[in-house]
Amino acid sequence: MAARTAADTSTIGLSELDEFRTDEPTGRITLRSLTKRYAGSDIAAVNAIDLEIRAGEFVTLLGPSGCGKTSTLRMIAGFEQPSDGEVRLDEFVMNTVPPNKRPMSMVFQSYALFPHLSVRENVAYGLRLKKTPEARLKEEVDTILTIMNLDAYADRAPHQLSGGQQQRVALARALVMRPKVLLFDEPLSNLDAKLRITMRNEIHRLQRRLGITSIFVTHDQDEAMTLSDRVVVMNRGRIEQIDSPDVVYRRPASVFVADFIGRANFLDASAVAMVAPGRMTVHVLGQTIEVSSHPDVTIDSKILLMIRPESVRLSPVEAPVDGADVRGDIGRVTNVMFHGDTVEYEIETASGSIIASVSDPSVSEILEPMAVVRVGLATDRGWVLPATDRD
Amino acid sequence: MTTTLEKAAEPIADLSPAPRVRQRKARDTSVIILVTIVVIVLLLLIGYPLITLLGAAGSEKGLAALGAVFTDPGNLRIIGNTVLLGLCVGVCGTLVGFLFAYAQVRLQFRGKKALHLLAMIPIVAPPFAVATAVITLFGRNGMVTNGIFGWQADVYGLPGLVIVLTLSFFPVSYMNLKGMLESLDPSLDEAAAGLGASKLRTFFSVTLPMLVPGLAGSFLLLFVEGIADLANPLVLGGDFTVLSTRAYLAVTGEYNTAAGAAYSLVILLPAVLVFLVQRYWVSRKSVVTVTGKPTGTTELIAASSIRVPVLTLVGLLSLFIVMIYATVLVGGFVKVPGVNNEFTLDHFTFVLAGIGSKAMVDTTVLAIIAAPVGGVLGMVIAWLVVRKLGRMAGVMDFIGMLGLAVPGTVLGIGYALAYMTPTTVFGVQILPALAGGSAAFAGGLAIVMVYITRSLPSGQRSGISSLQQIHPAIEEASTSLGAGSGTTFRKVTLPLIQTALISGVTFAFARSMTTLSPIVFLTTPGTKIMTSQILAEVESGRFGNAFAYCTVLIAIVLCLILLFNVIIRKVVFRGRTHRR
Repeated sequence: MAARTAADTSTIGLSELDEFRTDEPTGRITLRSLTKRYAGSDIAAVNAIDLEIRAGEFVTLLGPSGCGKTSTLRMIAGFEQPSDGEVRLDEFVMNTVPPNKRPMSMVFQSYALFPHLSVRENVAYGLRLKKTPEARLKEEVDTILTIMNLDAYADRAPHQLSGGQQQRVALARALVMRPKVLLFDEPLSNLDAKLRITMRNEIHRLQRRLGITSIFVTHDQDEAMTLSDRVVVMNRGRIEQIDSPDVVYRRPASVFVADFIGRANFLDASAVAMVAPGRMTVHVLGQTIEVSSHPDVTIDSKILLMIRPESVRLSPVEAPVDGADVRGDIGRVTNVMFHGDTVEYEIETASGSIIASVSDPSVSEILEPMAVVRVGLATDRGWVLPATDRD
Repeated sequence: MTTTLEKAAEPIADLSPAPRVRQRKARDTSVIILVTIVVIVLLLLIGYPLITLLGAAGSEKGLAALGAVFTDPGNLRIIGNTVLLGLCVGVCGTLVGFLFAYAQVRLQFRGKKALHLLAMIPIVAPPFAVATAVITLFGRNGMVTNGIFGWQADVYGLPGLVIVLTLSFFPVSYMNLKGMLESLDPSLDEAAAGLGASKLRTFFSVTLPMLVPGLAGSFLLLFVEGIADLANPLVLGGDFTVLSTRAYLAVTGEYNTAAGAAYSLVILLPAVLVFLVQRYWVSRKSVVTVTGKPTGTTELIAASSIRVPVLTLVGLLSLFIVMIYATVLVGGFVKVPGVNNEFTLDHFTFVLAGIGSKAMVDTTVLAIIAAPVGGVLGMVIAWLVVRKLGRMAGVMDFIGMLGLAVPGTVLGIGYALAYMTPTTVFGVQILPALAGGSAAFAGGLAIVMVYITRSLPSGQRSGISSLQQIHPAIEEASTSLGAGSGTTFRKVTLPLIQTALISGVTFAFARSMTTLSPIVFLTTPGTKIMTSQILAEVESGRFGNAFAYCTVLIAIVLCLILLFNVIIRKVVFRGRTHRR
């Protein structure tokens, strides 16, 4: 048991990694109006999406279940035939290439290790199919097992390993093929919370070192944020936004994205003036403030102001601080939830109900229900969205 | 690294200018070839004989016979007899199967393994064993009825048939209900108990209603076995004629194949109908959730209100079964069983070294050829059905299962009609005559084909259910690593369904060795089959020889089952085992 824990938390052997490095980043993936309609359903599971994934990039497909992210990944892998549109790898159309001929490897949610083969044979499986000479095969397999810290388990059967170890075998099995593209289908969702973070970090380090183009499907926004160069947020078969994690978080393209990634307060605000393209002043919480806005927003738009709970600032009513970032209205605390590292308040204000998250609270600072507080917004954290597309 | 990638990219380059190509799964040529082969094989095994049979029944003579079946009072009585027999066997067999299964799964008692084995014996026993033993024990000169009580009992007719068929076929119901009882979530019982229900009340208000689909399914299966059985009515029917014996007589006694086809059709239709109902209606009604893993351990029932009556009944029945098979065993060693009980080895000498040994060798060889083919074919069909065929899966599944749904008598007559002459396609002969006097391999090929047909469905069933438990991602992982469909099947799927394969092959062998009804229409002087030899011995009253045959047959089946298991585990899979 002790040995297993140690192995799970250990990092991968980075020194051997260089052997697996490629000279240049591999595999550019292009999706052109890619569509998937399943028989017996009118609604397209994937609806004409376009996406360009650069060589060596780590892209996450993020969305709620049924948003089409897994179908998209499976079309890239070749397990599903597109109903329309095309998948390209570099300049080659892949649509008619069967999945076993595509230079891509997939890591599955259920690990999908072959239960009748040992760890070593699982990893060697693909190389054997390529008729790799025995000596070379052994060398390759040994190297990747060392990298993944699995040497000690090489002759065990998959069911004798812990979840994290099984996942590393699955990763080793995919990597040993030296694919141009690595495909991950929610590979961490079967792991417990702590192990998930460990494995997440290992995948991150590995991918950065190897420079293999990676497409990672998940419904976990933390995974998407920490792993990706860019996050593709999907909903109902369409792409809602493609951006780097910070932009997706701070400047979501739609109410859906704002709501799905992290948590968001949407305050009824009224537009006052456009300061510049993408900058405007709005009236909210009894104050007029300047904030960034979505490109679609005009002075005539019906707008919502998005503010993350951690960007809400609270101060005592009787001692309003003049500090630039704490202004605003009076509100009443209706609910208090203590999380340990943060405490969350539900506060009723004239602009609607607000959730505020205060980090690192001391016992004496925690407010009681029914307490009256002054509610303000941190500088330049607000984001104005058009109100119409809320659904 | 680069070399492999270029290789992968090369064929793509040619395709890149081509616009989108929409072909659903059509790209997998190995699957197309496999499907084509399987379809041709199934056509030859089942399709062609059945179509020929329907054609013969639809011919002028056949239609006349068919009309007579429903108008002639004698024939109507035969139909009535058949239905009555089916109903009785269905009810009795389901009851006995349920008692055994319930005791096995839910009751606390010693000797569960013995009980299980006892319930399984009929599967490996040839069809006449029980009938002959019952005659010996309870017939006009029966050891029990006449010998002990001095009665001139008459077992010929309906009562004897019901007893014999119930004992022969109840394992079907036992296996069915045992599986269902085992997969019942024990927490349901606990919930009922928690709400204040006694064990007895739980049984009637929770367990029994959950089993209704299972009980209905068993009843239907046994009903079909009852109306389709040929062997026992031949031996034990007396004046009680049923459709299968009538068809047999028409074909072998009156040489009127059209009439035989007509009678067959009358058995075939309800049999297939019941099969369809059982498969697609009852199974959908099933409320039992089969998760594949036990959800908990059931607390075994120790309450005497349930234990005493159930175990008493099961005990008596078991005693009866033991007595029957003991008679079979002992009967082979006495001069005239029940009449002159002097020890002799004559019967075994006859079977093992004398004229009878040819039947032993022929049957075993043919069954050994058929079993692996039937088992593997079943697995391949299962794989195609579960993984590859999409919407056409149901059709292939159904055609494969026809081998079980079509009564043996009907299948035999179909074969006799279809393969009496060489088979031609568009004027080109593809098969020589397989049945009748000038049959190729003295009818051996036709018999092997029948064996395969009859045993294929059980492999297919177990293959389908074990494939459904393998996560598709495991096969996709293999594909993702570069394996084509064929390689994936060979290297990943097949090893994972080895248990199903073993049981499929085993069952195929046991089933082949004990099949009679289709065989009696196909044996030629050149090929001797044990079951039809047993029939001949019983009909001429040489019970000793029949018993010796039965014992030898059971011994061969048990030995080869053991051998198959060892071979497949140790050689084919090289002792690799896995836990899922």
